[in-house]
Amino acid sequence: MISDAGWTLIFLAIAFAATMAGRFMVRRFGVHFRPLRAYTVLPELAANAVEGNRRVHFSLGSSALGQPSTISALASAEVIYRLSERLAISRLTPLITLSDPITLPLAQDTLRRAYEYRRNMAYYRSSAAAWYPQGPRSLAFAAGVASLSADADADSNVLLGRFGYETALIGESALRYDQRLIAHSDLVEGQAVAFAQADEMLYGEELYVGPAYMNGTALERGGVIALDVLRWLVILGILVVALQEAIRR
Amino acid sequence: MGRHLLVNFLATVTVISMGLVTLIGLVSGEDTTPATFASFLIRLVSVIAAVALFVGVLNLIAVHMGRFVRSEHGWPYSLIALVTALAVIVLRILDRADIWPGKLKGEQISVRVFESVQVSLESALAALLVFFLVYAAYRLLRRRVTVWNVAFSAVVVIVLLGSIPLKRTDALADVRDWLIRVPVSAGARGLLIGVGLGTVTVGVRVLIGQDRSFRG
Repeated sequence: MISDAGWTLIFLAIAFAATMAGRFMVRRFGVHFRPLRAYTVLPELAANAVEGNRRVHFSLGSSALGQPSTISALASAEVIYRLSERLAISRLTPLITLSDPITLPLAQDTLRRAYEYRRNMAYYRSSAAAWYPQGPRSLAFAAGVASLSADADADSNVLLGRFGYETALIGESALRYDQRLIAHSDLVEGQAVAFAQADEMLYGEELYVGPAYMNGTALERGGVIALDVLRWLVILGILVVALQEAIRR
Repeated sequence: MGRHLLVNFLATVTVISMGLVTLIGLVSGEDTTPATFASFLIRLVSVIAAVALFVGVLNLIAVHMGRFVRSEHGWPYSLIALVTALAVIVLRILDRADIWPGKLKGEQISVRVFESVQVSLESALAALLVFFLVYAAYRLLRRRVTVWNVAFSAVVVIVLLGSIPLKRTDALADVRDWLIRVPVSAGARGLLIGVGLGTVTVGVRVLIGQDRSFRG
């Protein structure tokens, strides 16, 4: 019988092998992915914000380094970096809000790297990454974020990471101030609210393939293939277990 | 350029080694050296969290101080935030010093203030959420009528009506229970499995040092 630790290692080994195989396939054959509307809209949104001299507000929600949402925070930061790279030619620094203090340096560094890449450090403001304390139901955070975004006259709100019901407050404010809303959440509640309110949304694992869709490296694009392999393995696993159970009965 | 490369190299080596050590520690048995070391690293995160919280408070003060000094739109709210932050810090210090006389002796006033202000405000906001969501469902149908939008709105209506505690809505309550037990539960699991798989693939990229977020 394989232990939980054994399963973890097996799963990681498969993911690693599939990522490397995917990287090889991308380099050797060139692979085209199905279009995801949100990743088509996001670069356009960045371009419009620069042209219109408006800000874009990004939020990581309660994604936190050192917590189970660490990877969600890293993936969101990477997508924000790809977009900030485009926004960093503007004088208006994009805003990043979050509710975990450990993640604050990650957000500040994401912006700094983007401005450094564009050699436009004169316009970088570390205070553009703002931490809002999180209450028991995150609503204080959402209220703060919504008001900051409105006061800064943001063109759009891009929510990536971990959000719950509080997304509704941010969505309502976006509607009132005529801001676009592109949302993702790795929590089911947040995802449901985003479905109702967002102009575009990313479902579940779509956040993690963001870099691959925005000028991704071969390894990042290989990761999308690995994700598909793992997805099919899980589907097969569920089918086998269901069949086994049906036969046993 | 050389310094930049060296910093990137050191950051990558640190991330890969710490990641692997923690992974080995987590899959090792209890009380083994790797497990103890992994546990130490995880405890270290708690210490960093405490320091980061302090940095977060400083950031909050800096952001609102900046808005107040530059008289940006909404500066009175920033002033309120600053005064409130200062008041809570002072209250907490007074609580720790245990200076409250008479009936208040031994009371934690800062906790009481937090519960009576923050919790009440959040409860009020939470109560508004249902209206926002119902309005969002209505807007969804006005914007674009698709099968999924209709399904979403129908489920919202059924769940809301099924939650009414009246005898004649028993059938709707049953439908609501079935919806939550079967399709909602299945969809939620699917979503969470997807998030888990995404986490694994990005995790692999971090473990092999290909994630760029920690580099200079």
